[in-house]
Amino acid sequence: MTGPVVHDVQTLPADDNVNPYAFSVDLNGQWFLQKGKMIAYYGRIDFHGIGHGHLDRLIAGSFHSPLHAADWVVAEGQGKMLLADRAFDVNSYDLDEGNLTIRSGNLLAFQPSLSLKQSIIPGFLTLIGTGKFVAASNGPVVFVEPPVRVDPQALVGWADCPSPCHHYDHQYLRGFLGGLRAHTGIGGASGEEHQFEFVGAGTVLLQSTEQLMPELATGTVPDEAGVPGGGGHAQQSGSQLPQLPGNLGGLQRRFGL
Amino acid sequence: MTGTTGEAVKAKNGAMVAYDGQMSFKKMTGGGEGLRGMVTRRLTGEQMAVMEVKGQGTCYFADRASEINLVRLQGEKLYVEASNLLCTDAALHTGTTFTGLRGASQGNGLFTTTVEGSGQAAITSAGPAVVLRVTKQSPLQVDPGAYVAHTGDLKQHFQSGVNFRTFMGEGSGEAFQIRFEGEGLVYVQPSERDTVGGEV
Repeated sequence: MTGPVVHDVQTLPADDNVNPYAFSVDLNGQWFLQKGKMIAYYGRIDFHGIGHGHLDRLIAGSFHSPLHAADWVVAEGQGKMLLADRAFDVNSYDLDEGNLTIRSGNLLAFQPSLSLKQSIIPGFLTLIGTGKFVAASNGPVVFVEPPVRVDPQALVGWADCPSPCHHYDHQYLRGFLGGLRAHTGIGGASGEEHQFEFVGAGTVLLQSTEQLMPELATGTVPDEAGVPGGGGHAQQSGSQLPQLPGNLGGLQRRFGL
Repeated sequence: MTGTTGEAVKAKNGAMVAYDGQMSFKKMTGGGEGLRGMVTRRLTGEQMAVMEVKGQGTCYFADRASEINLVRLQGEKLYVEASNLLCTDAALHTGTTFTGLRGASQGNGLFTTTVEGSGQAAITSAGPAVVLRVTKQSPLQVDPGAYVAHTGDLKQHFQSGVNFRTFMGEGSGEAFQIRFEGEGLVYVQPSERDTVGGEV
C-alpha cells in the first residue's frame, strides 16, 4: 500500500486544486479571500482586513461591496497558500473580460485584477474583468448553457448571461387549488413548481445537490426606492387595506380571488 | 474502513460499524495506558474512550462519515487530537503530551495525544487531509482550526497577527496561526473547526 501524497512547497500546484476540496494559490502580490478560508501557507504572507491603510488603492480598484467588507481580507506577500471551505468542493475559474454573478457565500477568493461588486439581486456578488477566482460548491459544479430552468437551491451562479427570472409552473398559477397545494402541501406539491429561468448566451453554474451552503447574513442594501431588497418594508406594497378576518391576503391577491 | 487479521487493534469506542469472522471487543479503561495514563488523561482532559478489538476477519471502523487517513509509522511519533484518532495497531503506544497555546486556540485544551511505535494509525478529518512537508527552508503556517495531526521533529509555536485594527473590528479573520519549524509532516483538513481565533 502506498502512503498518502506528501506535498511540499515545490510540489504544491500553482493556482490549482490539490484535491477536490483544497486549492493552492501561488501568491506573488495580492489576493482577496473570504475570512477564515485559509487553512495553511508556506512563505511570508500577511492578512489585512479591509479598511483604511496602505491597501486603499487596491480596494478602490477592486472591491465595491460594503456589505461584505467585513467578510473579506487581503492576503499579501509571497508563498503558497491553501484555501478550503468546510470540506466543500472548490474550483477555480477564469474570467476573460467577462462578468459572473455568484451566491455570496460560495465565492472564496479572487485576483485583484477582477473587481467585486454587489449584484442587484440580494445575496449575490458580481465579478467583472479578467482574472482567476475560486468558488466552493456543495458537490461538483455542472455548467449548462441557456435556455435553461434551474432549481433555486441548485443555482451557484451564472456568467455573461442577462435576465435570470422566476418561472412558476402554469399548474401552480392556474387557480386557488394549485395555490393551496403549493402553500400547504395538501394534495401533494411536487416541490418543483418554481424555477429560475435563464435565456440568452452565457453559462449557468449549478451544484449537484439542493443543499445550500450555509452563509452569513450580511445586512441589507441601502433603503432607496427601486433598489431590490432595499429596506425592510417595501415587500407589502400591493394592498393598502387592513386585513379582514377570513381574508387570504397575499394568497388571495395572487390568485385573483 | 480498515481491517484486522490475527493481531489486536485499538479503536475509538463505538467506532465499529461491521465485521466478519470472529471478533471480541473489550473496553480499555484509560485508553489502555495503564493506571498512570488513566490519571494523566483525567487530569489533562484529553480523554479518549478506547476499545481493543481482537480476532480473525475484517473489522470496519467509521466515524460520522468523516474522511479517514491512514498514517504508517516507523518509529516516529504522531501527534493527533484524541477526537481525530480512530484506531491504531495494538503495537503502537499512545500517550498524552503538552502542546501549549496551540491547543488552547482550538478549544481543544492544552494537551494532545501522541501515538508512537511501528504500525498504522487511522485519523479522521473533515474532508481528505492534505499532507504538507515542512523542511528547515520552508516552515509552514497552519490555521488552528484546520490542523489535524503532525509527525516528525517539529517545533510549533503560536503566532498572532493581532494589532490595533483587530480591536476596531477590522480583523483579518486569520489572526492566529501555528507555525511549524523543523522536519516533518503536517496533516491539514480542508475545513475549519470553530475556534476562538477564527472570529478575530
